[in-house]
Amino acid sequence: MYRDILRGPMIVWLVLALLLVVELLATLMHSVMPPLPIGIIMACVVAVCFMNLRRSSPLSRIFAVAGVFWLLVLLGLGAMDPLTRTDVPVVGATR
Amino acid sequence: MSDRPAPAEMQYASATHQAMTAVDGMWLFLATELLFFGGIFLIWTVYRSLHPAGFAEATGHTNLVIGSINTALLLCSSLSFTLGLSFARRGDNRMLVRLALLTVLLGLGFLGLKGVEWWQDFAAHLFPGAGFGIGGVNAGTAQIFYTLYFIATGLHGAHMIVGICLVGWIAWRARANAFSSSWYTPVEVVGLFWSFVDLIWLILYPLIYLQGRP
Repeated sequence: MYRDILRGPMIVWLVLALLLVVELLATLMHSVMPPLPIGIIMACVVAVCFMNLRRSSPLSRIFAVAGVFWLLVLLGLGAMDPLTRTDVPVVGATR
Repeated sequence: MSDRPAPAEMQYASATHQAMTAVDGMWLFLATELLFFGGIFLIWTVYRSLHPAGFAEATGHTNLVIGSINTALLLCSSLSFTLGLSFARRGDNRMLVRLALLTVLLGLGFLGLKGVEWWQDFAAHLFPGAGFGIGGVNAGTAQIFYTLYFIATGLHGAHMIVGICLVGWIAWRARANAFSSSWYTPVEVVGLFWSFVDLIWLILYPLIYLQGRP
């Protein structure tokens, strides 16, 4: 009886543990693989499997997608100015 | 408790509709929480891009061992509460109590280690302000890093405390056989919150401890 309950979540947990090890080793070995995308993949696995997003109602999925969408808008618009601004002197400006 | 579904409140068509609305409502709340933490992710991204050297030096002062153990603890806690929910779906309150208490223990372990880490940071004068422990050309940027570090881990810790209280409440209710195979909505809703707190940490962990680590 317990086997049916344990199998799915245990597999997900093993995948997450493996990704954590990969993330850690990539950092310690100064690999070209950046750690943040691995963390994002782990977060997606938690959302889909542990938070059961794959079997959630359409409305729950819409809320989840909307949250990510507006987060991307926040990050995109918020980071656009500081990351693209160049220090160009303005003609006629005094310091 | 019998396996009969709990009666629905008058504004719902059925008990199933009521349960689905509670879960949908939690997802809506979590979407707002994601944007709440999004501000921290944004500031972190911008400052790291503008001052990579200072952030790399400050990252080198963080305790990677504690950060990694804490990540593993949270992954284990998400597993234990997910299993608890599976047992709740079968009406097994006894196993739910055990797994919820295990989740509380893992959460307390996380907070305990985070407390040790903060204590070490304070001892090393890494709290931003006068007498800050990192000098040189990157001192200013390192102070920004540690300001964000204390805000991010503090806010996450506050969510952990709320989560631990909620999971403890689930254990207390399950001990009184409050849940059945036909009604376990609070377990599902609290599980969503707990895993979300785990999810946020999975983003904070590489930002704080790994990215650009020398």
